[in-house]
Amino acid sequence: MNRRKLVRSLIFWALLSPIVVAILFPYAVMIITALKSPTEVHDPTWWPHEWRWRNFPEMWQTSGFAPALVNSLYVSGLTTIGAIIVSIPAAYALSRFRFVGRSAFSQFLLVSQMLSPIVLVIGLFRLVANLGMIDSLNALTLIYVAFNIAFCVWMMQSYFSTISRDLEEAAWLEGAGRMRTLVLVFLPLAAPAIAVTAIFAFINAWNEFVIALTMLRREDNYTLPIRVFSLVAGRYTVDWHYVMAAAFAASVPVAVLFAWLQRYLVRGLALGAVK
Amino acid sequence: MSRAFTPYALILPSFLLAAVIVLWPVEEIVSLATHDVNRFGMLRDFVGLANFRSLIGDPDFISSLWRTLIWTAGVVLGTLIVSTPIALILNEDFYGRGLARILIMLPWAVSLAMTAVIWRWALNGESGMLNSALRDLGVMNRNIQWLAQASTAFPMQILIGILVSIPFTVTIFLGGLSSVPDDLYDAAAIEGAGAWDQFRLITLPLLRPFINIAFVLNTIYVFNSFPIIWATTQGGPADSTDILVTYLYKLGFRLGRLGDAAAVSLIMFAILLAFTILYVRLAMREEAAT
Repeated sequence: MNRRKLVRSLIFWALLSPIVVAILFPYAVMIITALKSPTEVHDPTWWPHEWRWRNFPEMWQTSGFAPALVNSLYVSGLTTIGAIIVSIPAAYALSRFRFVGRSAFSQFLLVSQMLSPIVLVIGLFRLVANLGMIDSLNALTLIYVAFNIAFCVWMMQSYFSTISRDLEEAAWLEGAGRMRTLVLVFLPLAAPAIAVTAIFAFINAWNEFVIALTMLRREDNYTLPIRVFSLVAGRYTVDWHYVMAAAFAASVPVAVLFAWLQRYLVRGLALGAVK
Repeated sequence: MSRAFTPYALILPSFLLAAVIVLWPVEEIVSLATHDVNRFGMLRDFVGLANFRSLIGDPDFISSLWRTLIWTAGVVLGTLIVSTPIALILNEDFYGRGLARILIMLPWAVSLAMTAVIWRWALNGESGMLNSALRDLGVMNRNIQWLAQASTAFPMQILIGILVSIPFTVTIFLGGLSSVPDDLYDAAAIEGAGAWDQFRLITLPLLRPFINIAFVLNTIYVFNSFPIIWATTQGGPADSTDILVTYLYKLGFRLGRLGDAAAVSLIMFAILLAFTILYVRLAMREEAAT
C-alpha cells in the first residue's frame, strides 16, 4: 500500500461524498421502499422492521409487469438491430471517405438530435395516426431507430477512425473486393465498438418515455417506463412498495450492463462529438 | 458501383430513415401551426401566424417560456460547475476510482421517468424520506410538502435535472482529460506552476472544446427534457411548474389545441436553432482567435 495514494484516496472520496450521497439517495429510497410491508410503507423509516421480499412476486402478479417486460424487450431489441444495421455503413462512410456533403450529413445528424422526439411529438403522432399505427410497437420501434441513428453513427465513427487502414489496404492488394474486405477484415476489428454502441442503443430504447407515452394507448402494449408511470399517475391510492419494486426490477439489469460498459463511453462519445 | 457513389450509397439508408421520421413530422407541424385546426386534428382555414399571435397573448405560454429559460440555464450551468471537479477527481489515480465512476454514472443507466417517479415518492410530504433525512440531520424540524407549490417543486426539479445530467457531462470531460498529455503537467511543475495555475493554464484551455460540446448538447437535451417535470408534478400545481415541453404536451393531448401546440414546437425549434448557430459561431471565432 502506497501511503501517499491512500491519503489522496481518502481526500478524494471525502470530496466526492456529497454528490455520491445525492446521486444514491433516490435509489436507496427505491430499494428500501420496495422491501417494506404495506403497513410500513408510509413511515419514512430507513430500516424496515421486516424485509418483505414477497413484494416482488406480488408486484409481478398485480402490476402487469410481465407483458411490459416482454414489450420492452421486443422494442429495444428490434431498435438495436435496426439502428446498428443502418448506422454501420454511415459511420464507415464518414470515417473512410472524403466526399462532397460529408459535413452536411454530419450537420444533418446534429439537427436530427435537436429536433428531439418531444418537439416533434404532435407531428409524429399524426404521422403514426395517419398510417393507422397508433398502439403499434413496430411503429414505436421505427421511431426509436430513427432517433438513435445520430448517436450510433457518432459513436461508431469515432471508433472506426481509430482502426488502422493498413489491414484493409493489404486485403485490397491481395485482390479482395471492397465489400469482402469490409465484411471479413473491417467488421471483425470493429466488433467491440459495434457491440458497445448496440448496447447503448438498447438502453436508450429501454428507458424512453415520451414517445411511448404518446403512442401506446392500450395497457397491454405498455413498455416498462409507461407501466411504472401508470402505477403512479392519476391514482388516488398508490401502492408505493409495488411501484418501487417494479422500478427496481426494470432498472437493475440495465444498470448492471451500463456499469460494466460505461468506460467505453468516455472514449467513444467524447471523440465522436468533438470531431 | 463507381467509387464516387460509394459513400452516398452507404449513408443513404440512415439518411432516408432519419429524414422521413424527422422531416415528415416537421411538415405536419408547419401545416398545423399555420392553420385553424379543430380538436380532432382537422385542418380548416389557413390562418398564417394567428396561432403564434394567440400564443403570445397567452400568459401561460409566456410564463412557461421564462420558466424554460430558468430551467435550462439552471440545470446546464449547475451541471457544468459540478461536473468539472468531479471529472478532475475521477481522472486522478486513487483507490476505488472504478467504483466512484460507476456510482456517479448510475443515473444515466436508469430511465429518467423511473428516477422522477422515485423522487416523487422521496419528496412526499408525510412519508417522503427526504423530509425524514433532513429532519434527522437537524436541517429542519417540520415536513415540507415539496411538490405542493412551485417555489419548492421547481428548484427540486432543477436539482434532479442536475443530478441526472452529471453522468453525460462527466463522461465528455473525462474523454477530454484523457487527451491531455501528462508531460505538459510535468513541464509546468518544473517551471514552478502550482495546481491552480496548471488547471487554469493547461487543463482548462485543452478542455475547452469538450466544455463547448457538453454545453451545447446539454442545452439541447435539457431544453427538451420532459420526464422529470412530467413524472413529478405534470407541470402542476395549477400549471406553475410547466416548461415549454409540458405546456406543449398539455395543449396537444389534453386541451386539443393542436394548432397552438404545433406553434410551440416551431418556436422551440427556432430557439434551439438560433442558440446552436450563435454558439457554434462564437466557438469558431474563439478558436480562430487562439
